[in-house]
Amino acid sequence: MVRTGLGATMVRAGRRLLSSLPALFGVLVFTFLLMRVLPGDPAVFFASGPNAGKEEIEQIRRQMGLDKSVPEQLVFYLSDIGHGNLGRSMMTGQPVLKDLRERLPASLELTFTALLIALIAAVPLGVIAALRPGSIIDHGVRLFCALGVCVPTFVSGLLLIYVFYYLFGLAPDPTGRIDVFTSLPPQRTGFLSIDFLLAGDFEGWWAACRQLILPAVSMALFVIAPLARITRASMLVSLGSDFVRTARSVGLSWRKVVVTYALRNAILPVITIAGIVFSTMLGANVLVEKVFSWPGVASYALDALLSSDYAPVQGFVLLMASLFVLVNLVVDICYGIADPRVSIE
Amino acid sequence: MRFVSFRLASSVLATTALLLIAAAPSQAQTRAETLRYVTGASVNTLDPNIPGSTRESFALSMSTYDRLVAFGRKQLNGKWVFDLDTITGELAESYDVSPDGLKITFRLRKDAKFQDGSPVTAEDVKWSLDRCVTAPILGKAQLLTGSLTSADQFKVIDPLTIEVTLPKPDKLALPNLATVYPMIINSKVAKEHATADDPWATAWLKEHTAGSGAYAVESFKPGEQVIIKRNESWNRGSANKPAFFKRVIVQSVPEPATRANLVERGDADLVLDLQASDVQSLEAKGKLKVISTPQYNAVTYVSMNNQIPPFDNVNVRRAIASALPYEDMFKAALFGRGAPLFGATWPDGKPANGIYPFQQPVKMDLDKAREYLKAAGLPEGFSTTFSFNVGQAATAEPMAALVKESLGKIGIKVDIQKLPDAQMSTQINEKKLPFFTEGIVAWLPSTDYFYRNFYTGNQRWNYSSINNPDLAAIAQEARFEPDKAKYEEAGRKLNAMHFDLMPQIMLWQPNQDAVMAPSIEGYTYEFHRQVDYRDVSRK
Repeated sequence: MVRTGLGATMVRAGRRLLSSLPALFGVLVFTFLLMRVLPGDPAVFFASGPNAGKEEIEQIRRQMGLDKSVPEQLVFYLSDIGHGNLGRSMMTGQPVLKDLRERLPASLELTFTALLIALIAAVPLGVIAALRPGSIIDHGVRLFCALGVCVPTFVSGLLLIYVFYYLFGLAPDPTGRIDVFTSLPPQRTGFLSIDFLLAGDFEGWWAACRQLILPAVSMALFVIAPLARITRASMLVSLGSDFVRTARSVGLSWRKVVVTYALRNAILPVITIAGIVFSTMLGANVLVEKVFSWPGVASYALDALLSSDYAPVQGFVLLMASLFVLVNLVVDICYGIADPRVSIE
Repeated sequence: MRFVSFRLASSVLATTALLLIAAAPSQAQTRAETLRYVTGASVNTLDPNIPGSTRESFALSMSTYDRLVAFGRKQLNGKWVFDLDTITGELAESYDVSPDGLKITFRLRKDAKFQDGSPVTAEDVKWSLDRCVTAPILGKAQLLTGSLTSADQFKVIDPLTIEVTLPKPDKLALPNLATVYPMIINSKVAKEHATADDPWATAWLKEHTAGSGAYAVESFKPGEQVIIKRNESWNRGSANKPAFFKRVIVQSVPEPATRANLVERGDADLVLDLQASDVQSLEAKGKLKVISTPQYNAVTYVSMNNQIPPFDNVNVRRAIASALPYEDMFKAALFGRGAPLFGATWPDGKPANGIYPFQQPVKMDLDKAREYLKAAGLPEGFSTTFSFNVGQAATAEPMAALVKESLGKIGIKVDIQKLPDAQMSTQINEKKLPFFTEGIVAWLPSTDYFYRNFYTGNQRWNYSSINNPDLAAIAQEARFEPDKAKYEEAGRKLNAMHFDLMPQIMLWQPNQDAVMAPSIEGYTYEFHRQVDYRDVSRK
């Protein structure tokens, strides 16, 4: 029974993956065209040495392939993508694939940690608020959520830096994933907190975690609100339903009623929202990445966009689209686990 | 009882102190011997010649490579700045300029070695200079300004002597060899990595170094940080010893407030690109050393396109020049941190000297501005746009608001346009912006160089798109003028024309605010406007 359920989920996931390919292709072409329609000539921008003239501009144009017509460029670009080549960034001078591969783990590590902190905070908050709707606690949770959403992440980030780094000196300096004087562990996963553990370097692990806490908290503060609100709403529905009344009437323990029956049934929408929140955070954490000098993909894409560096922006959008597809898949699979009925349809 | 506890406390204290002293030196020493420099920009290539390379890349290459010659330094108002007129040997032990000025002979240091231990020879020098004028790289356009255009001009005399021949006696030839691009590369190593498509190994040198410089690259993460370590055998510094710092960390920190926090807390040693407001508050607190040098080879302009109506009318340009609230703009944009290029008094109506950039006798006088508008046939004013780029928003935004307000008083309606950097440079290049603010910098700031590059030709850097044959001819002639008095005379003529034609309005030379730990010494304002890590030391 379980096996067939899991199998059905997998088949569904596979079908989803296939059906998302045309969408990915569309995103690819759309971004490509959009970048070319935007005003601003990257060649002129990058040829800004004190003596760069027409010749240098032409040369950069050739180097970036901009001397060809747009349809030709598109064909070249698609064939490059087919060969796993995302082009070269003018800004960092590196292949985009290499840049993204180095920077994606940083963004993922930050986003995962932030999401984890947000979930750990939001789910209990939502449950407590739902258990006593209209009470002081409910209002307190609402106020906290409103504050979290109102304060932009860079403001909370700067505030956290000011208090914990500048005033009290508790946090390490907010410059990237690891203190510049710490030596890095051999790279295995790209997630520093895991790599340090694998290398058995606990001091390094602690240093990496300390760097991670402030940016993760400032990101988490921003997404606690939607998660807590949706938990509360769906818990209210769940607590008011027949099966919870029945469970209460037969005298099951409070814990069993709330956690096992009510929460498990209420968790589906929370998973959906968490999936969406995760994808959004990955792209939208650019402000946090800037404030904490975090070497992630979002700040990379923003810098590229400002300087009209086509290849990194296109690579970034493609990456985000693919991640979105993946996250949706994972959400689908989580559905199946949380509620086996889903996979039967 | 009291006595005992006192003894206990003091012994605990003493033990702790001892432990601290025992533990501290090893760590403290390495920190003291390390320079941590933070910046909002980043290094994107190890070869500054690659098109698109950043200013931080220029600065890095000064430490990783040597050149034949280097600029000396001088004191300007009590601050150290580079000196264009003193050229000292770097890899060259000495040099001779022939009496007719057409031949420069360099004798190389006998003890100079590349970082891989092989000696620096005239062959390497020739290969590197050939590369600079032949390969499709940035050095080509730079060396052109010093009449260095062809590989035939560089001749190996013997393994330690190289001769450079010039078509005309050009006073910028020698200074050009001290700029960022003509760095001396280990040609044997570079040639090993050259390919048929890429005979000058540009692809390889972008990610690797093969130089003889004071520092070797330890790790390079584009967009994040570069760590360089000292080359112990380098002795091209002033006192025949290696550079001071054992390690230099160049780290990108995009948020200016964070950079200010880092240097204030002592975690970073040196930073150049803070916001003017942060510099002011740090200076007021007095804990850090702040060295503010007017960027005397840079200028910020309010530019008008002399080809687009109504700015093609000289009286409109004069009206604008009389209507700008200079003092307020200077305070709002820069907090007064810079050298003003307005408000001069010329008693006899003539320029005080032939040096460019110079202070013009312009000041806000709305009545005069209205008269000029009337003379231009536009007494009711007109509408236009005023553009600046996002990257300069911190200074340009308050400035633009003041421009709009003041011009509104004489009937000129201004729409403020804030453009992304790439878009702004494209529009400037295509000569589409009527009215905007921008800045320029010249590595080799001589009067004729400024006028030739920024006031002639249909090219990007001629912001005002001025096309005045007389001005171009005087500047061109001055380039090869050996007589100092005549050169000065040409400079005065050009400056007088500038004020008369008012192609664009010089506003100021912003300060370079170097904020550093009190222990840092030797900071010098360099032509590339970045830190030369070889200059600085810790007391």
